[in-house]
Amino acid sequence: MFKITHQELEEKAFSIRRDLIELIYRARSGHLDTSLSLVEIWLGLVYSDFFQYDPKNGAWEDRDRVFLSEGHACPLQYLINAELGYYSVNDVFTGFRKPKTPFQGHSIRDLKCGLENSNGSLSIGVWQAYGHSLETKRSVFCIAGDGEFQEPSSQALLSVPHYLKPAPNFTLILNDNHLAQDSEVDLGPIADVAKLYNWQVIQIDGHDLNALGEAYLQAYNEQDRPTFLVCRTIKGKGGDPENEGRLGHHGKPPQNDDEYRNYIAGLEAKGRV
Amino acid sequence: METYGKESLREAFGHALVDAGAKWDDLRVLDAGTSNSTYSQFFQRTYPERFYTPGINEPGMVGIATGIAMAGNRVVACDMSVFLHHAYAQIRAAARQGSDMHFIIAASHTGIAVGPDGGSAHDLTDLARMRLVPGFNVLTPWDGAHVRQIVNVILEEKGLYYVRLNRPKVPIFLKDPISFEIGKAYRLREGNRVTIIASGDKVYNALEAAEQLGDGFADVIGIATLEPLDTDTIIASAKRTGRVITYEDHLCVGGLFEAVAGVLALHHPTPMRRISLDRVFTTSGDPDELAELYGITTASLVKECQDFTKS
Repeated sequence: MFKITHQELEEKAFSIRRDLIELIYRARSGHLDTSLSLVEIWLGLVYSDFFQYDPKNGAWEDRDRVFLSEGHACPLQYLINAELGYYSVNDVFTGFRKPKTPFQGHSIRDLKCGLENSNGSLSIGVWQAYGHSLETKRSVFCIAGDGEFQEPSSQALLSVPHYLKPAPNFTLILNDNHLAQDSEVDLGPIADVAKLYNWQVIQIDGHDLNALGEAYLQAYNEQDRPTFLVCRTIKGKGGDPENEGRLGHHGKPPQNDDEYRNYIAGLEAKGRV
Repeated sequence: METYGKESLREAFGHALVDAGAKWDDLRVLDAGTSNSTYSQFFQRTYPERFYTPGINEPGMVGIATGIAMAGNRVVACDMSVFLHHAYAQIRAAARQGSDMHFIIAASHTGIAVGPDGGSAHDLTDLARMRLVPGFNVLTPWDGAHVRQIVNVILEEKGLYYVRLNRPKVPIFLKDPISFEIGKAYRLREGNRVTIIASGDKVYNALEAAEQLGDGFADVIGIATLEPLDTDTIIASAKRTGRVITYEDHLCVGGLFEAVAGVLALHHPTPMRRISLDRVFTTSGDPDELAELYGITTASLVKECQDFTKS
């Protein structure tokens, strides 16, 4: 299912969470809790056996595409692409949120760095990713937030494969952490809506690597329709346990050394998740 | 003035897309439910498998178009101009991907030339909106022949382009071969009393006005690229005549007038007047009746030039 062992994946999840905490604390800004909620989702995808990429040739025509629509999760994207060999982790630490680096506060399209799309405003990347899937033979995965699905145009996307083209190579991954910036999110029957529009709908625990691996494979093998992969996640997962799944931490890095230590302690207490 | 029949800019564009479809296999055309108004349906009929519509869904159309352009295709997204307000965030996000792609937005039904559908349907701020998005070339063709030439040029060169079209049949006055370079303004008639700077189909009216004003009176500059604006040609003419009038079917806010005023204020302050609309919502009416009502006819321009040069 994966290119590396389950144990190795868990170790990567642990070290990437540590790097996320460090990176965002040092930068004094960035969206830590969103990034923490997506660690297994992203790792599980890029280490899936089928997933093709080439860090030496980022624009490789036969690469599988990962669009990030909830762009504030880009710290995780930057660290994972370092892990994949597009550049060094050190590049991310020195460049994050600094002028004229590839590691802006929201992603800027830069194929040689493995950054597929520029993002920022919500509910735009999902459309671009779907459009992209119409004109590439490879798989297109798009990571979106549940808050992002409060935008009417995101919900409208669920109906478009019905009107336009089913695009079986398109997988929409929902980071369903139930928290937006200033309030809780309840998308109600969103998965049922997708089913009614004939998406392949898969609902899993977004921190369960095995479930993710199987879901990605199922999406990859689907021949007729797009996949809506709903991943139940915990915002702030694997950081300060006091903040996990709690409102009020969106875009808020640890404010001081004490808070930073609480994040690291929380991570280490859980060990390799 | 010699003319070669009449054709709407949108219709010329529709035909140009069909020709372009034969030349470029990778061309994809989209519309958001207005294909029989923009005439993108000509392309749809000829190349149904290369035409996409998400229905009446402007943000979706622009988003999908962006994704297709990011996959390496030549892309043209068509719509009635006023509805593109819905897609402004998506247009900005398209430009944010960078200009290393072939991405064209074509807007028909601009200005009061739309006529009886009324103020809700007249898009008089499209140029202002598009000038605000870094990276976009903002193009204002003058007649149907110009449209064909411009389509050829912009499908050749990667970049982000906005093409302003409109609804009514307007005179074809340009004769082949038509020269069009992105970013170049054209001096179409020489004069030394006043400079007329016109864009879109108003260029024809500007030349008519210049003819009525008599030989050597008006220096006429035609603008087909509003962004990036050819500042050298504008400044050179302002230096020759000392008076500049802009002429457009657009609000006075954010369009040709303010673009030219900005250039001259910085580089060669020159007395200016404008033929454009005040910052108002407009009314229903026949296009000629509306041009009269809002003072953007050839006659209004002639009168303004005469009045301006008296002082």
